[in-house]
Order: sequence, then structure tokens, then C-alpha cells
Amino acid sequence: MTRRLAPYVFVGPAMLLLATFGVFPILVAGLVSLTNMNLGGLARWSNIKWVGLSNYAKLFRDPDFWQALWNTVFFVGLGVPCVVLLSLGVALLLNRSQGPFFRALRAFYFVPAITGIVAISLVWSYLYNTQFGLLNYLLSLVGVKPVQWLSDPTLAKFSVGLVAVWRGTGLNIIILLAALQGIPRDYYEAAALDGANGWQRTRFVTVPLLSYALFFVTVTTLIGWLQFFDEPFVLTDGGPLGHTTSVSLFIYKEGFRGSQFGYASAGSLVLFVIIAAVTLLQLRLRRRDLE
Amino acid sequence: MRRTTTISALAGLATLLLSGTALAAPVTVWIMGDSSANFDALVAPFETETGIDVETVAIPWDAVDEKLTTSVASGQGPDVVQIGLSKLRTFADAGALLPLNDLVAGYPGLAPENFADGVAGDATAVAGQIVSVPWISDTRVLFYRKDILEAAGFANPPATWDELRAMAKTLTARGDGQYGYYIPQWDSPLPVVMTWDNGGDIVNADGNVDFTSPGFAAAVDLYTGLHADGSVPKNGDFDQTQGFISGIAPMLVSGPYLAKAIAGAAPELDGKWGITTLPKGSASGTSLFAGSNMGVFATTDAPDESLKLLEFLSKPETQVEWFKLNGELPSVKAALADPALADDPLVTVYAAQLADAKVLPMVSNWDGGVGSELLKALNSIVLTGADRATALANLAAATAGESIN
Repeated sequence: MTRRLAPYVFVGPAMLLLATFGVFPILVAGLVSLTNMNLGGLARWSNIKWVGLSNYAKLFRDPDFWQALWNTVFFVGLGVPCVVLLSLGVALLLNRSQGPFFRALRAFYFVPAITGIVAISLVWSYLYNTQFGLLNYLLSLVGVKPVQWLSDPTLAKFSVGLVAVWRGTGLNIIILLAALQGIPRDYYEAAALDGANGWQRTRFVTVPLLSYALFFVTVTTLIGWLQFFDEPFVLTDGGPLGHTTSVSLFIYKEGFRGSQFGYASAGSLVLFVIIAAVTLLQLRLRRRDLE
Repeated sequence: MRRTTTISALAGLATLLLSGTALAAPVTVWIMGDSSANFDALVAPFETETGIDVETVAIPWDAVDEKLTTSVASGQGPDVVQIGLSKLRTFADAGALLPLNDLVAGYPGLAPENFADGVAGDATAVAGQIVSVPWISDTRVLFYRKDILEAAGFANPPATWDELRAMAKTLTARGDGQYGYYIPQWDSPLPVVMTWDNGGDIVNADGNVDFTSPGFAAAVDLYTGLHADGSVPKNGDFDQTQGFISGIAPMLVSGPYLAKAIAGAAPELDGKWGITTLPKGSASGTSLFAGSNMGVFATTDAPDESLKLLEFLSKPETQVEWFKLNGELPSVKAALADPALADDPLVTVYAAQLADAKVLPMVSNWDGGVGSELLKALNSIVLTGADRATALANLAAATAGESIN
């Protein structure tokens, strides 16, 4: 009997936490999304009315939501490949030596990941500033007119994305580097004996053996970018004209600035479904790969 | 013998304390800002006079929304709360504020006629209910660089918006990267002020938000015209203080906080810049009445003490004292006329402008709703070249159903 119970006792606390902070909020959001919950509803529960699916109907008619959704698709399409490839490239290069210089570089690449977002936004908004930003100053030295890094609707997407890529690579580099160092030397020696050159060794030994770490990095990065929030929030607040508003930022603004909690919950549930679907799809593809 | 004295003294003290608490409940006040020290000093005489203990909590401006949400949700708010005028409707709609219509009668100091017309009584009533008492005033005036205007041949600041537009064009021609005027892309009251000045309003006679008045069309002409002339910078990260100090944008409409920022950042410019009342449109030179009111939280258990405190805060001498302590302008007419304020040439202009200033229409959630839709429409025209008719049709669709009722 004790033996039967033991696994549940071990799993129990984690499941309890997951249920309390993961599953329960989603259920609450699902309920709230069917109501007209706003500030008045918070004050007096009698003000809350069931509105069925009308929040969802409104959401899919809302041009701002569609703009936010397409922006998110753009950010994911730009950010995820950049972060994964860049992390892999840097990790491979860093793995070439264990010398003190390379160890210092490792720390250097990791710093953005642990720097506070407020400091990052402060520094980058000064770099990007149209009037006195460093970037525009450097450009002016070679006679280029001021560039509107964060004010031009198209360019702002790239500017915000760049900061997120810069910030997002650090952790992934460390994960990939750890995986790289776990690959036994023997494989490389065997490949070298077979006459594989450097590129072939990377392509046919390193990358396949890294596939699990790469999969992990891709999944977490993708989820992170689907929930893209920090960088546009601090750098542009979703502007200019909503061109850098991600779905998360849209939900935040509707919920906490507009006090439309029902509407925002509907948005967050839609985002949850998208993320779950994308992640399931990845897991399914991965399984097929393994077979 | 000695012991008995101590005991009787203690007993006396206890009775005193007990009777003190029985007489007057403490009042918790939320004021906006980073420090409560000045407010504590302000209410110290009130505390000694009435025996009511006032506890002040300073709420940073950018935490206002979160604080409101949590206090409304938990039902555990303060007794008295300072509310920015643009948030007043949100507070009232949430049922967070005690209706004061019947209560103010007992407090002559709170009678609407004591306060500046722009915020008194019905001007800040929500759906016909008075839910707050004016506290401090704030308005927008025209800032201009005397030296730069004179160098361009203008002896005086513009008296009308048409004149401002023409002058801005001339000033822009000073050279590459120079502008004549600055429009903050986040300034949603500005287009409304331009509408008022051209004889229109964004709320029709029924109280519904309505962007079809000729006055609003004139405001859109002005807003887009200044951009079309190239007279205003188009980058959203333009720094208005630096732009004014460096002279890149030598004219703009802003509030007293800009005067403080300029005086602090560039004391050497003293005398080279000035402020004046807003230029006139076809109808008036009406400006925005910003400022804050004080409300009593609906869940308070000390309504009488709270109103006593509000009456104390509405005394002209308290208001003048607050101006001296914190630099914020009074909302009481008698205090606005006080000689202590007239000494400061800037304050004279603010006071003159406050006599011709209106609050934004009390729609629900101006900042996140109508205001941001208005900015989105106008900025899409001037920044991305969106079609004017389409942008305004979208604005009308997005704000349909919004009203002050």
C-alpha cells in the first residue's frame, strides 16, 4: 500500500502547485471570458452579467486584435529562427576552446539574459533615440540622415525584435553549450579517422547529437515569442499606432488599462489555445522524427 | 504616594486616549505623488484642531490604476482619495466613490460656487452625481522661445491658432532638423482643446461622443496641417523639454510641469522663454482643466471626518499653503486670487488660463478608450498617410455608444 502511494506523495506537491497556479487560473479566465467583468463588476459581483460568447465574437471583429496577432506572427517568424540559429552559432564557436578568453566571452553573452528589463529599455531607448541616440550619431558621422528607429511603423518592429533577440540568446547559448560539452570526444575522433572535415563533423556529428537540446530551445523560444511582451512594453508601449503591439500587450492593455477583464480573458484564452496548438504540433513532429 | 500619582496619571491618559478615539476615527488619505511629507505638514494643524488623525499614503502616479483595481476588488480602500480628473469617471463607475450631493450641504466650505468654474459642482459630476471635491488645478498654456521668435521677426507670441501655424512654418524654415511647433503624439487632450477653440465639442447635446462638429473638422485641419507643413517633428521619441531648450521646437502647449523642467534643466535660458494663454481659434482660447479632485471612498467608516478634512483642504489659506509647499495650483477661487500667487509671473498666466478652461468630457475611461482612439485616428493620418475620411469613420465606429451619461 505504502509503495503504491509513494509516487503520488512525490508527485503531489508539484501537481498541487500546477493545479493552483496553472490550471485553476485558466479555468477562471475561461469563466470570466463569458462575462462582462469590468471594474464595476469587481466592486459588486451583482454587476457581472453572463454574455455568452460575445466577447469572442467582438474579439474576432476587432481590427486591433488582428493587428496584434499579425504582429505576433511577424515577431515569431523573425525572432525564433534568429535566436535559435544565433545561439547555435555562438555556442559552437564558444565550444572551440576552454581558454580564459572564451570563458570571459561566455559570461559576456550571458549578461543580457540576466540584466533587468528596465535597465535594458533605458539603455536601448537612448541608443535608438532619434534626436540624441548613439546609433543616429554614428550614422551622422558618415552623413546618413537620422533614422526613426522606434517611430517608423515598419522599422520599429525590427528595432524591438532586435533587442529581444539580443536578450533571448544568452540563456539558449548556455543550454546548447552544456549539451555540446556532453558530446563524447570519441565520436569526433572516429569521424576524423573516417576523413570527415570540420564542417562535416559539425553537420553529421554535432547537430544530430544536439537535436534534443535544439528541440528544447526551439520549443521554449517559440512559446516565449508567442507571449512576447517585455520589449515592446518598455520600448514603444506597442506604438507607433499599434505596430509593435503583440497579443500579450493587447491583452494587458484591454485588461489593466481598459478594465475590460472579460474581454481580456477571452483574448488570453485565445492566445493560450494558439500556444498549446503550436506546442502540440511541435511535439507531434518531433515524435515522427524519432520514429 | 508617588505610585498613586503615576497610576492616576496613567488612568487619566488612558481616558484621554480612549475618549479621543471615540470622538474621531482616523482618516486615511491617498495622495498622488512620491512623498507624503508635504501633505503631512499641511494637515498637521487640522489634526491638532479636530483631534482627527490623518494618515497619508503616497501613491506613485503610474501605480494609480493597479491600486484602484485592487482597492475596489478587495473593498479595502482609504477614506479619502486624490483622483486625477481623467480617472474620475472610472472611479465613480466602479462605485468606489461616495455620492456627495446631499452631504456637501452641511459643509459650507464645500459649496460648488467656491471653486473654479471649470471643475466646480456639475462640471465634474458623473451622471448627475457629485462624487468629488476639487483639490488642485492644472492647465495647458503656450510655451514659446522669446529669443528665437524675435530672431525670426516675431515680437509677440501667436494670438490665434492660424497665426501659430504660419509662424511655425517660418520657424521651420530656419534650417534642416528645425521645427516650429511640437505636438506630443500621446497628448489626447490637445485635439479636444483645438475643437473647443473652434467652437465645437466632441460630445453632442445628448451627451454622446460625436466627432462630426465643424469645430472638430477645423481641429483636424489644424492638427494635420501642422504636420503637412513639416512644422512638427514626426518621431514619437521626441523629447519636448530638450527640444524646447535646444530651440528645435520653440513653441508648444504644455503644463506647469514643463516650466519646472525647463527651469531645472536650463537656468541659463531664464528670460529667453515665456508662457501665455492659448492662441484663439475661431471661437475662443479655451484650454484644458487638468488637476485632481478629492473623493470619499464608498467603503469609508468615517464619512464625517473625511468631509471635515475636505472642508479644511478647501479653505483658501490651506490651498495657498499647499501651493507654497508643493507648487500645485489651488482650485478655490479665493486662493487663486491670493497675492501670494500673483508674485509669480508664470502663475498669473496659469490663473488667467484657468478662468477659461474646461475638463475633458467625463466618458468612461478616456485614456484607454476615446482618447487613445482619437490619437490613433489623427496620428494614422499624419504619420502613415491614412485616408482622412476612412480614419475618421473608424474613429466614429470605435467610439460609438460612448457617452457622458
